[in-house]
Amino acid sequence: MSLLSVRDLTVTFGDTAVVGGIGFDLPKGGSLGIVGESGSGKSMTSLAVMGLLPRGAARGGSIVFDGTDLCALTERRMRAIRGDRIAMIFQDPLSSLNPYYTVGTQIAEAYRSHRSGVSRRAARKVAVEAMERVHIKEAGRRVDDYPHQFSGGMRQRVMIAMALSTEPELIIADEPTTALDVTVQAQILDLLAEVRRDTGAALIMITHDLAVVSEVADTVVVMRHGDVVETGSTEQIFSDPQHPYTQALLDAVPRIDDEIGDLRLLSGGEA
Amino acid sequence: MTGEPLLRARDLVKQFPVAGTAGLLRPARLFTAVDGVSFDLHAGQTLALVGESGSGKSTTARLAARLIDVTSGTVHLEGRDITALPEKDLGEVRSTIQVVFQDPFSSLNPRHTVERIVTAPLIYQKRQIPGGSRAFAQALLERVGLDPDWVGRYPAQFSGGQAQRIGIARALAVGPRVLVCDEAVSALDVSVQAQIINLLRDLQREEGFGCLFIAHDLAVVRQIATSVAVMTAGKVVEAGERDAVFGDPQHEYTRRLLAAVPRIRPEWEAARRRKAATR
Repeated sequence: MSLLSVRDLTVTFGDTAVVGGIGFDLPKGGSLGIVGESGSGKSMTSLAVMGLLPRGAARGGSIVFDGTDLCALTERRMRAIRGDRIAMIFQDPLSSLNPYYTVGTQIAEAYRSHRSGVSRRAARKVAVEAMERVHIKEAGRRVDDYPHQFSGGMRQRVMIAMALSTEPELIIADEPTTALDVTVQAQILDLLAEVRRDTGAALIMITHDLAVVSEVADTVVVMRHGDVVETGSTEQIFSDPQHPYTQALLDAVPRIDDEIGDLRLLSGGEA
Repeated sequence: MTGEPLLRARDLVKQFPVAGTAGLLRPARLFTAVDGVSFDLHAGQTLALVGESGSGKSTTARLAARLIDVTSGTVHLEGRDITALPEKDLGEVRSTIQVVFQDPFSSLNPRHTVERIVTAPLIYQKRQIPGGSRAFAQALLERVGLDPDWVGRYPAQFSGGQAQRIGIARALAVGPRVLVCDEAVSALDVSVQAQIINLLRDLQREEGFGCLFIAHDLAVVRQIATSVAVMTAGKVVEAGERDAVFGDPQHEYTRRLLAAVPRIRPEWEAARRRKAATR
């Protein structure tokens, strides 16, 4: 059975649909990549799943997570799932962390908000363990440091530690490595893979980077203008894309291993 | 490459004072952003400076274009030492070397029409606009693949890729011999990025300018560069012909950088290209 099953999902602002009735499935422990260019609706899709759409946006369709339709939940019951059984990692870790609190306090409080009756001392221990699991050295000391004392890559490790503290069944990562240097990106992608191996968590990775998706996902959803143009196994999407848009998108990706002459252009592009 | 380089940088050093470290009688601590960088750029060549954030690649480009002053070292443009050229003589430098920036919107004045934006470099340099401002602007737009009838529009009416084309048109207005592209395609979607890379290559073929291409994306560099200099911590650790650097990297840091780049599996790529060829 699917861990997550999305059907006819729409996101509208007034009369404008930014996600136009899409669907996909994610099995327990699976990893799904949602790729698209800016304006494709990929981030709105992830925010819709989390119930975190901006003000003025309306959500339609169904999002069934482990047998429960998230669209039918009250905000109070959604809060109990979000950040606990479903965790999120965003692009910019600095804006997701509060500069006035130590990272340990933030991990511990996020944990305590989902585990009533846990003492501060026990939550702090969870925070240290979570930081150790994401390979932050001297976690016992660094737990008392503030976000600005960490580099970009280390902050993203802190965010992953926070996401992991409740042992989620699903991690949603929206462009988690886009702001990072390439060597740091490789470390964070390795870390995510290791964490999934150890905990069995499923992953939805939202990104514009096709090469990243090809390394991380086992199923790929290609989005454009709010619609899914193609869904398939990662191997099928990258070795035998069916939709002209997917084919054109892959033709436009610059390769590191060879020069391919003029990059093929997408027809109907506006630039 | 032989002959006089268009742009010759020797032992460039740039130090910045570290904010908050200066005392009453104590000078500020200095941070060395660029630490002894040298390179030659020839006509028709694209030299890519690659590196991660904080490597000093953008600062190096700004030194070479005389947007900021060196702490030490020299920059020669077409054989002339421009390192210490006084401000009033920089106009000549600006008509020889032009810069295209990463964020097209923040580098275009939102209150000016495209015509005013692309002719501004000539006006600042008090040069005659050949054929008149309107016709000149229209010809420039056509060269970068935009509709010449758009000269009266404002930046907000354009997409990111179109705005970057306007930035390139403005840079070309003075007929520069050196074009500095500072992460010029980094903020663009992949399909738009491909168009701008192709445009830059076509323009270079036509005009023969030298291009100093600053980028963190190694796959983009592979498509556009003829030579590559790899920077880290303010120093060039490896430099050479593009295929030599990518195909047989000598320095440990270059190897690490190349290994870290995510890749689509070669067998998937090969299968896709086989099928695409039969479509």
